[in-house]
Amino acid sequence: MRVLLVEDEMLLRAQVDKYLRDAGFIVDMASNGEKGLYFGLEFDYDVAVIDLGLPKMDGIDLISELRKQDRAFPILILTARRDWQDKVAGLEAGADDYLTKPFHLEELKARLDALIRRAAGYASPVVEKGPLRLDLGAKEARMHGDALELTAFEYRVLEYLVMNPARVVSKTELTEHLYEQDFDRDSNVIEVFIGRLRRKIDPAGTLKPIRTIRGAGYRFSL
Amino acid sequence: MKRLAIRTSLHGRLMATTAIALGLFLAAAGWIWERLFTTNVLASAEEQMLIVAYSLVDATRQHADPAAFHAPLVARTRPRDPAPGSLILLPDELGEPRLSRPNSGLYAYIESADGSLAWRSPSMAITAVAAASTRRPPPGDSRFEALVADNAAPRFLLGYTVILEEIEDAELTFWVLSDQAPFTAEIHDFRKSLAIGVTAATLLLVVLQLAALRWGLRPLRRMAHRVGALQAGKRGDIGEDYPAELAPLAHTMNRFVEHELENRERYRRAMGDLAHSLKTPLAVLKNALVDPGRPDRAVFDDQIDRMEATINRQLSRATAIPPVLPHEPVPVTPVLERLCRALDKAYAAKEVDVEIQASQARVRADERDVMDVLGNLLENAYKYSHSKVRVATRQELSRAARASDPGSTAPNGAEQTSPRGTPSGPGQVVRIVVEDDGDGIPEAAKQYVFERGARADTAHAGHGIGLASAVELATAYGGTVELADSDLGGARVILKLPA
Repeated sequence: MRVLLVEDEMLLRAQVDKYLRDAGFIVDMASNGEKGLYFGLEFDYDVAVIDLGLPKMDGIDLISELRKQDRAFPILILTARRDWQDKVAGLEAGADDYLTKPFHLEELKARLDALIRRAAGYASPVVEKGPLRLDLGAKEARMHGDALELTAFEYRVLEYLVMNPARVVSKTELTEHLYEQDFDRDSNVIEVFIGRLRRKIDPAGTLKPIRTIRGAGYRFSL
Repeated sequence: MKRLAIRTSLHGRLMATTAIALGLFLAAAGWIWERLFTTNVLASAEEQMLIVAYSLVDATRQHADPAAFHAPLVARTRPRDPAPGSLILLPDELGEPRLSRPNSGLYAYIESADGSLAWRSPSMAITAVAAASTRRPPPGDSRFEALVADNAAPRFLLGYTVILEEIEDAELTFWVLSDQAPFTAEIHDFRKSLAIGVTAATLLLVVLQLAALRWGLRPLRRMAHRVGALQAGKRGDIGEDYPAELAPLAHTMNRFVEHELENRERYRRAMGDLAHSLKTPLAVLKNALVDPGRPDRAVFDDQIDRMEATINRQLSRATAIPPVLPHEPVPVTPVLERLCRALDKAYAAKEVDVEIQASQARVRADERDVMDVLGNLLENAYKYSHSKVRVATRQELSRAARASDPGSTAPNGAEQTSPRGTPSGPGQVVRIVVEDDGDGIPEAAKQYVFERGARADTAHAGHGIGLASAVELATAYGGTVELADSDLGGARVILKLPA
């Protein structure tokens, strides 16, 4: 999952960055509103974290601008507790949730997970697709009740596909949302991962949950 | 410097303008009086001379001898006649004694139609009187004019022409001359007294004006003096004993001063409390760091939450600034609706069912503060509810107002729904009830909210912090917050703010 983090406090930005990376997110950081807008318009994100008090371009303006340019990814705003005017203005501008400072990093991650889930149309952190059961909180996948032995990266590929169901996800999109920017984008690597994932989910090859759409990418359906 | 003083001081301005107005008025009045008086003196001179002319006409009627008038020149001469050659003989004693006294200043002569001198007054005996060079007035008319001759004193001249039947319809012009000196002396005297009078009046008015200004501006001076004392710290206010024009200003100023003192006191108290209550958690954290074992995260969390709660509460207290002047009333329902729309979005996953009972109620508070109070209460309701939140607002008489005036509005205040909003003002409060179907507010959180100094424990900090903030804000506006149990099963928060 790729997250855009727009926060002007360096220390906090670094802490959030590290925490989210460790949790398997790809993080793009911006220290002011203008950079945030550039990233937001240039790349496709799964979720964004935007502080409201930003230099150069106010957080609320940034959100309005992103929404005006049809960027639909969920946005979480960071505010001070007392500023209801700001909170409401942020939500009215197009943000989806707020978190008041100070906050626990676990809480931030839980909110981001929930936003991504909500954007994909899932209400509960446990997603069930036929025999597949994905626990987004515990990052655990089960097939017919049996836990699947997935590597962290395999799990992320599966989660991304489940979060974008009934839609063709290109290899490029997968790389962008699951790899760091400077990663060598060799599409063969993705193919290898998809192959392994298919074998682990559906060893018998009867369900075919991940279909290859030739020339376009993959589509998850169960 | 002087001009500056006039412009910068009210006293100077008023004095300068009234002095100029007064000066112009008195000068104009003096000029008009002088004109009127002079005209009057001239008119009276003319009238006096006309009377002399009339008396001469009468005398001529009685004494003129038509035979003599038409007799040869020599025959008509009398030895004692001071003016040999007179055609008309008049008695020596005429009605006006000055005509008989030589050089008296009043002279007369009679001119016949052919221009010959018919008679002249004895007063002309030794005085050269320039003959009237002017045209004779037509019969029945008189003419009056001032004569200025180089070789004689300035005189007034009056001519009166009449046709006398008694002396065979002879057309005679009666000329009367009078020295101007007595009249001009009168005018001079008048001018002198006028000047003295006007000057005295001016001085008197200026003095009165000065006194009026001093008296009129005294409250201002008093105010300035007291403001000085206030700045020097010798007074706590500037008093309320001012005339109607200044009373509102003084009242407002007193309110500002009072407000400033209160604010300072609140800041001081809040900052003192803040410093005091941060000391303990900071000390605990410091000690936890030097603990040789691994830092215990629970200890950190607990202390940090405690610090956050403290900062929040004390900042709310310090920054909840009640209004000096009454705020424009803020309609409550739109604020509630806006907040609920925002919270619906943030709590979308929870699908909270919110019911807002709308009303026209308006509170007298800063909109930002209203939003903060209601935001905190609603956030708690959303967060701790299972699925249902209910908000009701209505305007009613405050408890105090009801106690003092039991007869007015029904105690249970049936909702007032005038289309343009309910009237707000003293004694009116807006009652906002926020309820949810959660598990209610834990005892520890209640304690934290209402007992100053009670500490927030980690488990309930969330509930308590927002509520404590709301309480501080509401209190600053003279409002109240009460907690109760809701029939929905959860908490019921009753907020009252001045309408």
